[in-house]
Amino acid sequence: MATNKGDINDGGAESFLTLGPDNSVTVRYHPDFGPHSDLILLEVPDDSVLNDLLRGRVTIRGQFDEDAVLCTPSSTYAMKFVGTSNSVFLIPPGNPNLSDPQPNPLVSVLKLAPGNVELVLTAPRLDKLRFLLMQRLYKIDEEDEEDCSSEGLYTWHDLICSIQASDEELREGLKFLSAVEINGFWRIVHPKSVNMILTMVLTNSVLHDWSLDALVEEEVLSVLESDGFNTTIVKHCLETFGTKNENDNSKLWGLDKKRIAVHFAKQVLGSNGGKMRLEIFIEKWMRNVQKGTPFDLNMLEGEVLYETIGAETWIKAFSVADLPLTPDARFSVLFKERAKWAWKDLEPYVRDLRVPGISSEGLLIKYTRRVQPNADAEPIFSAR
Amino acid sequence: MEIKVKCNCGVENCSEWAILELQGVVESQPSIANQIQGLEIGRLCCSSSSSQVNYTFTVGYHELSGTKVSLKKPLLVLKKNKQEEGSVSNNEVDLEVIGIIRHKILFKNRPKAIISRPQVKDKKASD
Repeated sequence: MATNKGDINDGGAESFLTLGPDNSVTVRYHPDFGPHSDLILLEVPDDSVLNDLLRGRVTIRGQFDEDAVLCTPSSTYAMKFVGTSNSVFLIPPGNPNLSDPQPNPLVSVLKLAPGNVELVLTAPRLDKLRFLLMQRLYKIDEEDEEDCSSEGLYTWHDLICSIQASDEELREGLKFLSAVEINGFWRIVHPKSVNMILTMVLTNSVLHDWSLDALVEEEVLSVLESDGFNTTIVKHCLETFGTKNENDNSKLWGLDKKRIAVHFAKQVLGSNGGKMRLEIFIEKWMRNVQKGTPFDLNMLEGEVLYETIGAETWIKAFSVADLPLTPDARFSVLFKERAKWAWKDLEPYVRDLRVPGISSEGLLIKYTRRVQPNADAEPIFSAR
Repeated sequence: MEIKVKCNCGVENCSEWAILELQGVVESQPSIANQIQGLEIGRLCCSSSSSQVNYTFTVGYHELSGTKVSLKKPLLVLKKNKQEEGSVSNNEVDLEVIGIIRHKILFKNRPKAIISRPQVKDKKASD
């Protein structure tokens, strides 16, 4: 007798589970017994995920050529089907005797489960995010240009459907890339445009005698807007280079000297791979950075590498933010850049790596070979 | 693509399903072929001795003994639904939580052969 599968309520799970001593029950194949391949068993690793699942806060994300991942609001899990050689008989809830009255109590098995899906906590797959958002960098005069298509532009919803990460991890990924939402699309601002706006803010600060520790948001936005700059982008610049203090009525921003110093260092050196003699770099850097702004080379940790060529020291742009996020790809790029790394040079380029279930030492053991000639010498890392 | 995992039962009202698990395979007489719907598999009995509650499952002329086990990690029963024609989302399927399994009765000991009571309908294939 066919039943609406949405309400299978005649399996007898309760009488099965509450069967007491000196009682017995007949177990039979359900009248609808069959493969029921639309029924899947999902193993839930902990109460937090269980709660999210029962409250409908879980989604499955991925493209057809990717392995699907399960996302709670804050975490990402790989889905792995694990088979079993045992016979696992699935018993639905409800009372079989109602629909099929029998003298004796009855339990009906609906399906033989071939196994279940396991969830494995995994790092969000965010390398694709940078790739997508780099397709069309936002330039300041963009609106004036002919091309008004939305090709290569991604809304939040587009990103959710393409990126295998939870909402929270996706937001963090966007923040890490300094992305900003403009007209509903998430964009990375072109470095030249970023530089133009930051320079305008700094120049105006001198002109209007603004304090860089306490920029008044309204004032900055209105002055730059009258110069033709989109307020969303100017605000994003404040967010990228500063921190907000909510103080009485006006919103105040304090610019971070280190972030500004790093920005101008990158301007001087050019993008990854750009290099020059250290003395020349320092001279140019000092010229760019605001007077009175303290700076030192330690601020550039994780942004530059030093090479000795002959008797000279050269400095080269190499930013950790531009490197892949997955450990195998990251170490591959690092060892392509340099075959051997001293720990103090390597550390800024690996400290952000996060893989659930593996510690940073574990990552080093897995992906590098470590050589330490004696206890006093510094350890040297090379590719496995 | 994003597939939402729906749950209409909520935290409190999730229907409890159950599992009977044994090692090996249950087979029917060849004459039955695939017409096993409604067919009896066996009889499940419960008994208790000093500390434990034991279960005995008799299938054909085999007797299995087992215990009830609480799952350290519960299982959820999910149902894949094909989207109806003309639905809003452009996915072809959605998923719904329709039940939870927290306990199973597991038979993992070697079956004992009962010689005196051969059943006609079913036989159990031993591992």
